Amino acid sequence: MPSEAVRTGPLAGLRVLEISGLLGEYAGKLLADHGADVVLVEPPSGAPRRRLGPFVDGEPGPERSLSFAYYNTNKRSVTLDLDTGEGRAAFLRLAARSDVVLDGTGEPGHLEGRGLGHDVRARGNPKLVSTIVTPFGADGPLADYASTDLILMAMGGLLSLGGYADGVPVRGHGDQAWLAAGQFAAVGTMLAVLQADTTGSGQVVDVSAQEAVVMAHENAVQWYDLEHVVRRRNGGAARQAAVGVYPCQDGHVYLLAKGLGVFWDELVALLESEDVEGAASLREPKWKDDDFAASEAGKAEFETIFGRLALRRTKAQLYEAAKRVRIPLCPINTPADLVASPHLAARDYFVDVDHPATGRTLRMPGAPFKMTGSPIGVPRPAPRLGEHNAELLGTDALTTTGTGAN
Amino acid sequence: MPTATLPLTGVRVTDFTWLGAGPYTTRTLADHGAEVIRIESGRRMDRLRILPPFRDGKREGSVDRSGYFADRNSNKLDVTINVKDPVGVDLVLKLIAGSDVVTSNFTPGTLEGLGLGYQRAREARPDIIFLEMGMQGAYGPDASLVGYGQTVSALTGLYHLSGLPGRVPVGTGTNYPDHVPAPAHSTFAVLSALWHRRRTGEGQYIDLSQAETMVSLLGPAVLDYTVNGVNAMPDGNRAEYAAPQGVYPCAGEDRWIAISVVTDQQWTALTDELGAQLLATRYPDMAARRAAHDELDARLAKLTESAEPFDLMHRLQRRGVPAAVVHTFGDLIASDPQLAHRGHFAVLDHPEMGPSVYNAPPYRLRGVDGGDVRAIMRSPAPLLGQHTRDVCSRLLGLDDAKIDELAAAGVLA
Repeated sequence: MPSEAVRTGPLAGLRVLEISGLLGEYAGKLLADHGADVVLVEPPSGAPRRRLGPFVDGEPGPERSLSFAYYNTNKRSVTLDLDTGEGRAAFLRLAARSDVVLDGTGEPGHLEGRGLGHDVRARGNPKLVSTIVTPFGADGPLADYASTDLILMAMGGLLSLGGYADGVPVRGHGDQAWLAAGQFAAVGTMLAVLQADTTGSGQVVDVSAQEAVVMAHENAVQWYDLEHVVRRRNGGAARQAAVGVYPCQDGHVYLLAKGLGVFWDELVALLESEDVEGAASLREPKWKDDDFAASEAGKAEFETIFGRLALRRTKAQLYEAAKRVRIPLCPINTPADLVASPHLAARDYFVDVDHPATGRTLRMPGAPFKMTGSPIGVPRPAPRLGEHNAELLGTDALTTTGTGAN
Repeated sequence: MPTATLPLTGVRVTDFTWLGAGPYTTRTLADHGAEVIRIESGRRMDRLRILPPFRDGKREGSVDRSGYFADRNSNKLDVTINVKDPVGVDLVLKLIAGSDVVTSNFTPGTLEGLGLGYQRAREARPDIIFLEMGMQGAYGPDASLVGYGQTVSALTGLYHLSGLPGRVPVGTGTNYPDHVPAPAHSTFAVLSALWHRRRTGEGQYIDLSQAETMVSLLGPAVLDYTVNGVNAMPDGNRAEYAAPQGVYPCAGEDRWIAISVVTDQQWTALTDELGAQLLATRYPDMAARRAAHDELDARLAKLTESAEPFDLMHRLQRRGVPAAVVHTFGDLIASDPQLAHRGHFAVLDHPEMGPSVYNAPPYRLRGVDGGDVRAIMRSPAPLLGQHTRDVCSRLLGLDDAKIDELAAAGVLA
C-alpha cells in the first residue's frame, strides 16, 4: 500500500535499492526515514538482522526481531535469490529504476562475482550511485579479513582507548563499528547523489568500516604524529579532579568541570551552597594547577569532598542542581531513564510504530534530528519478509520466493 | 583535464562551529568542495586551539599548533570577526546573504542573542539552510545545559551500557558522540536539506540534538525496555552472535587480541591453531560455548598470552577466524598495510606545524579523481584569522583601507 505520493521528508523521490546486511542497514534506515523509497533486497532466508535480537518477548523468529523492526522502518522488502538467473534479472530490473544501490552485505566483490557489479548496473542508468560498505574497503591487502563489530573496533583503534586502565580493553556497546560504517555510508551516498544531480554521472562510494572507526580517534592520531605519544585507555578512574564518573546515591554521574569544561568556580559555588564540608578549600590556588588536579592526591581529595554531596543525592537530583547552575554534570542514564525523560518527551523523540506481525506497538527512537522545512512523520513499520514482492516484482515473485532452485 | 569536480563545489557555509562535533561536520563539507568560512574571534576562539597535542609538544606563543584543532578543520577558511560589535554582526549577515548554509554548535539561542539567529539569517538569505546542533536540541526543558561528548555519552545510555558487569561504566574512553554520531548525522541532515532545496527552492532550520543522534544508535536497547521491560546492563565484549568473543592478552606490553567466533568451523580452526582441539570436541556448538563462556575466556587467555599478537592474528585470519590485534593508533599510523593502501592518513603541510597527519574521510568517491584521496585532502587547518582579508575583500567587497580600519577598530579581530 505504501505509495511514493504520501512520502514526506527531504529525500522524497529518491529511489534506493539496499542489499541487506549489517554494515549498511543504518544507512538504509537514514535514507528511508527521510523520505527515500528504499527497497530492501533479502535472500529467501531473510536478512541477517532478522536472526538477531532483542526479540518480542525474548522469543526468536524472523518477524519478531526488534532490532530488525528498528533498522528497517519505512523500507519495502523483496526476496531475491541472487544465485539464480531469475533473481539476478529481477535485481538488475530493480537497479535500473534506482538512483542508489546500497550494498550493506560487507562482502567485497560478491555482486561483481555474480555479474551484477556497478558497471553492469549503470548501463542505461549513468547517474547510478553504488555505495558499497565493507569491513576494510573494497580493496587492499586485508580486504578479505574476517570480522565482526569487535574485530573492527580493534582494527580501527578505538578498542585501544576503551575499558579500564588496569584491565582488558572493552568495546562501546551496541555494534557501534557497524553503525559508524552505516552513518558514513549515508553521508558518502548523499555526496555522490548531489554530485550525480549536478554532473549527470554516478559513481561508486567505497566505504570502509575500519576507517569509520578510525574517525573516532578523538585526537589519538595527532598525539602520535605530533608528540609521539600512544594514547591508552583510562576508564574506571577520573582523568583529573572533576573530570570523570562519580558515584551517587542511585548510580553514577559524569562530571566535566575542568579540562574541556571550564566550570570549576561554578561547581565550587554549588558545593558551598549545599554546605558541603571542605568545599571552600577547593578555592585554594593549587586546584588551578592542572598537574595537581590530575595527581592521585588531587583526584582523591576532590572525590572525598564531592562525594559528601553526591552520595546523598540521586543522579536526578544532581542533574537538577547542575542545570540550575549550568555546569556539565549529567546522569549516567539507563534505557529506562531515557524512556522516562521529560526532555525527550517534550521533544516527541520517541515514536510508536505498529508491528503487524505480533500486533504490538513498538516505542522506539524517532527522527534523529528535526528538519522543520521537510519534517518526517511516524515511520511505517519495517516490512515482513518479501512483503512487497508482488508490487515490485510482479510475476517474478512466485519464482523468487519459491525454492530458489535453478 | 580540469581538476576533479567535487560534490559540493559552489556551496558556501558560514560556520560558527567550534570544539568537537560541529567542526567535524563542516570539515566533511569542506573536504568535498564547499567553501567553509569559520567565524572566530581572537577574544573567543575555538578552545581546541589551546588544547594538546601540539607539534613537538610546544604550545607557547601560538594558537595554531594544536593537532586536536587541526584534524577537525582541514580545507576551511578562517576569519576573525567580533560578533559582539554591531558592525561585525552586519558583516556576518552580509556573508550569510551569500551563503547556502549556516552551522552552529553553540548552546541553542546563542546566535539569536547575537542578532544572528535563523530569522535574521533568513531575512538576509531566504533559502538559507540553518543548522543548530545543541547537546540536547533547540527546545525542551534541558535545552540550555552545556555539555560535551562525554556528557552526551552519559545522558544517552552509551556510558551505562559500556563496561564490564559489576564495575563502574566506562563508555568508549573518548567523547565518542562528538566524533561519529553527531557529525555524521548533522552532515547527512545538511546534505539532505541541500537536496530538498534543489527540488523545492526552500531552505530550512535544522534542530539537531547531539544526544538524540546517539540514542538513535542505541535503538535495540531502547526497544528491549519499551517492549520487553528489560533494562539492559553492560555486556563487556560479548555479543549474541558470537561465542566465545573477547579480548585476550598476548606477549608484549599491553598487547591484546580480539577474537570473535561466529561459526562452528571458526571454532574448530581456532582451537586447532591454538593446539586445543579438545575444546572443540567438548564445546561443539554455540549454545555449549555460550554456557561455558567464562571458562573459555580463561582458557583462551592462557593459550594466547605468550603469542606474538600480529603473528597470531595473521595465522588465525588465514584460517578464516575473525581475529584482530587491538591496534593502537601508533600501530595504525606506523604500519597498518590496509590503511596505507587506502591512503587513509593524509599528510598536509601546515605553515606552523609542518607536514602533519590528518584523517581522510572513511570512504572513497571513485568518481572523484578515481578515489584519489589527494583530491579531497587539499589544505591544512587554517591559522586564526588567516583568511580575514581574503574573505572581506572577495566576498564582502571591502577595500584594503576599510579592512585596515575595521581591524584597527577591533571589528576584524
